[in-house]
Amino acid sequence: MSWRVDLVEGASIAVRSLSAHRLRTLLTTVGVGIGVATLLAILGITQGLDSSFEKQLATLGSTSVYVSKQPWVQMGNWWEFRNRKNLTRAHVEAVRAQCSLCETVTPMVDDNADVAFLGVELPAVVISGASEEWPRVTGFEVSRGRFFTQSDDDNRGLVAVLGADVADTLFPDVNPVGQSIRVGKKPFTVVGTLARKGKLLDSSQDLRVVIPFRTFTSFFAGRRSYTIGIAVKNPDQLEAVEDQLVGILRRARQTPPDKPDDFAINRPEQLASTYQQLTGALYGVALGIGFITLLVGGIGIMNIMLVSVRERTREIGVRRALGARKRTIIVQFMLEAIVVSAVGGALGTVVGLGGAKVLSLVTPLAATVKPLTVVFGVLFAALVGLLFGIWPAARAANLDPVEALRQE
Amino acid sequence: MLIELDDIAREYVVGGELVRALAGVTVHIEKGEWVAIIGQSGSGKSTLMNVIGCLDTPTRGTYRLNGHDVSRLSDDALADIRNREIGFIFQNFQLLPRETALANVELPLVYRGEKAKVRRARAIEALQKVKLDNRMLHKPTELSGGQRQRVAIARALAAEPSLLLADEPTGNLDSATGEEIVKLFEELHQQGHTIVLVTHEPKLAARCPRAVRLSDGLVVGDGPGEQVAFGGLRP
Repeated sequence: MSWRVDLVEGASIAVRSLSAHRLRTLLTTVGVGIGVATLLAILGITQGLDSSFEKQLATLGSTSVYVSKQPWVQMGNWWEFRNRKNLTRAHVEAVRAQCSLCETVTPMVDDNADVAFLGVELPAVVISGASEEWPRVTGFEVSRGRFFTQSDDDNRGLVAVLGADVADTLFPDVNPVGQSIRVGKKPFTVVGTLARKGKLLDSSQDLRVVIPFRTFTSFFAGRRSYTIGIAVKNPDQLEAVEDQLVGILRRARQTPPDKPDDFAINRPEQLASTYQQLTGALYGVALGIGFITLLVGGIGIMNIMLVSVRERTREIGVRRALGARKRTIIVQFMLEAIVVSAVGGALGTVVGLGGAKVLSLVTPLAATVKPLTVVFGVLFAALVGLLFGIWPAARAANLDPVEALRQE
Repeated sequence: MLIELDDIAREYVVGGELVRALAGVTVHIEKGEWVAIIGQSGSGKSTLMNVIGCLDTPTRGTYRLNGHDVSRLSDDALADIRNREIGFIFQNFQLLPRETALANVELPLVYRGEKAKVRRARAIEALQKVKLDNRMLHKPTELSGGQRQRVAIARALAAEPSLLLADEPTGNLDSATGEEIVKLFEELHQQGHTIVLVTHEPKLAARCPRAVRLSDGLVVGDGPGEQVAFGGLRP
């Protein structure tokens, strides 16, 4: 007898048997469905998070490095990082003068202050002090007006460039360029606005006001450690740049040769790899849960198939007596298991994707699903059916026809 | 010669103990014969039926069916032979409860790989032979015992086998219905079908032209049905 007969006949028997036990079929289906739904929802959210994080990272600029006292990602002794010598103006100048692989260098320093225009006040806005090179390093673009100049910096000019969020909130209808705002207690003239950049790890990069570095240092008192922002000439030379920077800064900071670097060279990719380390474990756990759910669904299938084999022992005997080969019986029961789990997989796919979508609408979590994931969901469910159907099917096929016929 | 059983033995191990169900049985059956196999329970007649029906293989001896040695075949080959050569009729009918009479009768043809149209036509024909063509689309639960057994006989006939193998075919029927079924067997015998009928009832065996009596796994009588059934003729 041909495979065609096995498959066609097996499928029709499977479908009839499943529809004869609707409730049982439904419950088994739900078991697999929940597993697939969990798995797909997790995959969807994972993929969503990854792609949104990739987009965020891209906003940092891949050709920039940021030198500061503390590394962005701190593992271990924060006290040691805190107690390091500050990065000062002199260090910035040393890099500017000596780094041949650096294209532009800007000092960077942040603080918070209230910003107000007429009656509207924005509390705790990030105030960044930087030199005119800041946009080149950070990748921000000026959308209206201009960025401040070297002479603004030299003269400690009271000029400010507004981030998109600040500009939109304080000047919903008016062009802010030329207007006077209050930063802290001082009046500043707005000379330009920045194009929107978006969020990085859930904090807006656009809720900021950028003012000249010297202006910043004269208003915000206190000894601060600066960040040195550097745009690299050639992005392929990041390693070489790092080596050069280490040399320059160790000399400038007079770090003893037997001591490790007392500063950190931060690059956006490091953030990415740390992010992946942190979230990788989380995803692993989540996926593990998904797989366990699916495993439970699979065991449900196996259980129900064993019941089905037991119930239909006599039927199997009759079929065998009338000329069904072992293979025919195996195919019949495997198809039954596969049909149940594939239907469960399809339902689970719908629910899982729907769930991920709903989650992305009601929470800040982004969920994207690649079309391949859907195919994967259904196929994976079918595979579960196949795996957990093998044993019951083999048991059915290996029944002794004589014994099977004798069964009550 | 349709069936040549030579020195057939079948032994089982049950709970560590050797059980000799058949201890060397030799029986030859011609095409067109109607033979009863009679014996007490435990005589080995069910085992002999399983061997004849290719549901079981002997541990010793040879079994030639239609000239082919079938005593040492693979499981698949045995399934194919059952499908082509044997029409089973069981005491408890062994119909698939969820299928219609027609679908039940079609079943052996399904496993033979016949096309749906051919299957249907031949199943209807077989149901006409047992005068059940008016109940084709009923399920077994909607049929009486006698009707169910006639469906089972139709199923056996549909495959046009060399041998009809019946195991206590009247055992679950009242005597009037049983009589109908026996009459049907007589008709089939007259039409030239070969029938082997396993029973413990001497009255039924006596209706067969020939009977073989088994006791303790051995043939203890072989001859005209009436004599073997009631007398115990030595071979």
